[in-house]
Formats: sequence, structure tokens, C-alpha cells
Amino acid sequence: MTAPPLANLINEFTKLPGVGGKSAARLAYAILKRPAAEAEALAAAILEVKAKIFRCSTCNNMTDVDPCAICTDARRDPSLICVVEEAFNIPTIEQTRDYKGMFHVLLGALSPLKGVGPQDIDVAGLVRRVRSGSIREVIIATNPNVEGEATALYIAQQLRPLGVRTTRLAFGLPVGGDLEYADQVTMAKALEGRREI
Amino acid sequence: MILASVTANNFRNLEPDPITFHAQTNLVVGRNGQGKTNLLEAIYFLATTKSFRTPRLANVVRFEQPSVFVSGALQRQRIEKALSIGVEAAESRRRVLMVNEESVSLHDYLAAMSVFAYSAARLEILRGAPEERRRFLDRGVASINPAYLQDLIRYARVLRQRNALLQSGSHGSLEAWDAEFAISAAAVQRARAAYADELSAAFAEIVARHGYHIRDLRMTYRPSGVDDPARVRRLEIRARTSLAGPQRDNIEFAIDGRNAAEVLSGGEQKMIVLLLKFAKLELFRRRHGESALFLLDDLDAELDLEILQNLLTRLPSETQLFATSAKEPVVGALQSGPHRRLVIEKGRVIDSRDFS
Repeated sequence: MTAPPLANLINEFTKLPGVGGKSAARLAYAILKRPAAEAEALAAAILEVKAKIFRCSTCNNMTDVDPCAICTDARRDPSLICVVEEAFNIPTIEQTRDYKGMFHVLLGALSPLKGVGPQDIDVAGLVRRVRSGSIREVIIATNPNVEGEATALYIAQQLRPLGVRTTRLAFGLPVGGDLEYADQVTMAKALEGRREI
Repeated sequence: MILASVTANNFRNLEPDPITFHAQTNLVVGRNGQGKTNLLEAIYFLATTKSFRTPRLANVVRFEQPSVFVSGALQRQRIEKALSIGVEAAESRRRVLMVNEESVSLHDYLAAMSVFAYSAARLEILRGAPEERRRFLDRGVASINPAYLQDLIRYARVLRQRNALLQSGSHGSLEAWDAEFAISAAAVQRARAAYADELSAAFAEIVARHGYHIRDLRMTYRPSGVDDPARVRRLEIRARTSLAGPQRDNIEFAIDGRNAAEVLSGGEQKMIVLLLKFAKLELFRRRHGESALFLLDDLDAELDLEILQNLLTRLPSETQLFATSAKEPVVGALQSGPHRRLVIEKGRVIDSRDFS
């Protein structure tokens, strides 16, 4: 029988993504073992992000200033918008250091099974941005799964009347991999998206 | 490919002794409830990780045992492969698949060994709902083109999403889903149509070679398509579900324009389903350059000895056969070329003898 305060902490951990019962228990016991100061620092850090971090009113990125650091960065190209499903997709694209445009976070992807329709993701905000500014190109970087593809198509339809150039991230072979390990769907997409050299 | 031996641990009533097989024909005999079908099921389980009798895998684990483990030695074009599958009976159903003592993914494991199985339940191909026939076709397509499974999974996911959208009654994004639906549906239907063509040609060849009279059976793939998308869309919005697409495809088996299941006798139906299986085996052999294994449960039920004998000689060449029968005299009278007769009692092979 687990003591109620400990059971309570374990239960809270299981609410987080990717944490099952066993991982939650390991985390809780690890916290018990460590000095009280560490637990306090963790608790304070959690409270602080909740108090200080909010969504950027322009792009929906997580930020502590509004507009966010990316939206106000003068070295970036304001005529280029990359559309992602979640704010945590931004660091992945930023890591390339090749992309110098803006972002727009949809806050999800279309999924009727989860009750997510066009009004539940922020396409309206994107359309507003395209309409008001001098946007040259919108790059759609939703996930390459069924939901992400439908979302990309939906966005493309919404942007079509505005006449802005709309592109989709390429699908293809992982760099550094061997052809023999590519699955057939990826291979077919890579063939479809081939280019001249 | 040839299965040289199999060992089953905690698989239903089978005893954990290695059982060795004949490279061509294996006739498994014994009284009812001794484990004949269990042996075939263990081979099927080794090849597919599934059972042909039950969707609940826990049922194959011997009572009160924590896990089931089946291993086998397979020869493919003279290369030996050791396959094994272990599954826990507990809720976790942890599964370990190994080829040559190395843990492999399900995809790689399934590619290692191929079987086709016939049991009485397969008569549903003729008698049952269209879903049975779609599954029959889909398994065949996947046997010669494993990537087809990904097409099917993708399509099923789009269909579920699209139906949920229609169900919700708000369809602002229907067009976006339609595009995805059309692409994935086309991939499935293209593959089904190509396979159905090949299958009916192979079936016709086998029937033509067959000495016995089989009435002129026609197999027709009927994809569910849309002539007037706008009209169908209106109907779908009213019905709140998808009304066309691969989920509504059918395969018709007809004799003189009439439903085969209503015209044919039980014996004729069994014969036709068997010959369809032979056609699938033949397509597999053409594609892969080697034969899959064939499992035939309860071979003499509903069939005359003479027809049976004739059927068995029509198996595509080099197909290793495993057949069960409860009637020893029937098996004794069968002159099915070189074969091994395995007598099974209480889950153990008590006699194994070769005949030439």
C-alpha cells in the first residue's frame, strides 16, 4: 500500500505524456531520495513556467514576452511563415539554423475522431496574418501522417483565394540512411518528390 | 520453403518434443481432441503470430502457464532459418520474435515464413458477408506485396476520420479529408483489382487442369466507386457516414449469374475454396520464386476420397502440405505420393512413418 501523498504524486505524473504507472513511480521515488531543496526548485520551476509563459498573440509560440522573440527578431524574414502543429515543433526546425522566417503554431491538427475541427486549430489567425502583411510564402510543416496531410490540404484551400505561394515540406529518405532500409511508402514519396541535379 | 521441424512449449495440449516433418506431405491423424489441429495451429502461429481459430491469443497458452513459445527450423532455398515466437499470457502480452537467435521486428519476422491455411471457417469466403471476401482478397494482396498493409492501415485511418467528421454533422473540412480519402482509397482498390485479375486467371487455369467437373464459376471484383461525387456527398451528409469506397467493395462468385453459395453443394463449396487457396499459393510461388506452406485442417470432411486425391495432386509444385484427418482408413486409402504419417495422441506424436 502506497502512502497517500506518494500515491498522489505518482498519479499526477501519470497525467503527463509518455509517462505510465511504472515511470511515474520511479520519478516519485527519485524525488523522495533527493534533497528537499531540489524538490523545491522543481516545484518552483513548474510554478514559474505556468505563471510567466503564455502564447504569443501573433504566432502562438510559447513566450514570456509578447510578441515573442522570434516575431520581433529584426534579422528574420517577415515575409516567410512556417506552419507547425505544436510549439515544440519549432525548436526542431530552429536547430537547422537554415530557416530564417517566422512561425505559426496551429495548436493541433484536424482530427474528427478527437473532435478537432477547423475552428479548433488556429487557421483563422494564419489567414489574418497572410491578409494583413506582405507574406511571400507559407511553408506547411504539419506531420506527414493522415491528420497532418488533411490539415495541410485544408490550409492550402483556405489560402488559395489569397494568392500566396503555399508549399509543403518534402517527404523522402532519411539522410545518412541506406536505401535498403527505407519502407515502401517513404520510397514512393521520395520518388514522387525527386528533383534534377 | 520447407518446415523441417517444430517445437511447441505450452501451446494448448502439445508436448514440448521436437516434431520433424516430411518435405512434401504430412498427414496428421488421431482421434478427436488429441491435438491434430493444435499442431497445425502451432505452425500457423509460428508463421503469422496469430491463430486461425481464435482472435484471443491467450486461448492458445496452456492452462495456468505464464507464456507460450514455439520454435521451428525452416529451409528457404537451402538456407536454414531458425524462427521462434514467445508470447506472455499476462495482460501485457509481451512478445519476442526471433530469426536466427536475433530479435526482429514484426515486419521482418512475417517476411521470414509464409503459410496459407484452410479450415471449415474459410467457407465464409463464399457464404459469409462481403467483409470476409475483402479480407480474403487483402490477405492475398499482402502475401505478394507486404507494403499493401501500410496502404490498408492508412486508408482505414482516413475512413475513420472521415466518418467521424460526417457523424459530427459539421463538414467545413470535408474537402480536405476527401482528397486524402481519394488517394488512399485508390491505392487500395488498384492493388485489389490487380490481384483479383491475377487470382481469377490462376483459378481458371487450375480449374481447367482439374479432372473433375466444376461448374463455370466467375469471380468478379466489384469496387465501390462514385460516378457523381456531388450527389454522393449530399447523401453522405444525410447518412452521416461514408457511402462509397474500399470498405464497400465486394467480390462476387457467380455461376450462370447466380450467387455461388446458393447454387453449390457443401462439397462443391469446399472444393472451390480449396482451389482458390491453391490459386493464391500459385501467385505466391510466381512472385517469390518459392512455395509457401499449406495447412489443410480436417481434409476429408465433406469430400469424397476420389475428389480429395485428385485435389491433392493439384497443389502447386513444391508446396509442403500439412493435413489433418480423424479417419485413419481414409488416410490409409489415400495414395498421395511420398508422405509422412504422424499419429498424434494426447499432444504427442506417438508414431511417425514415411510412405513412398
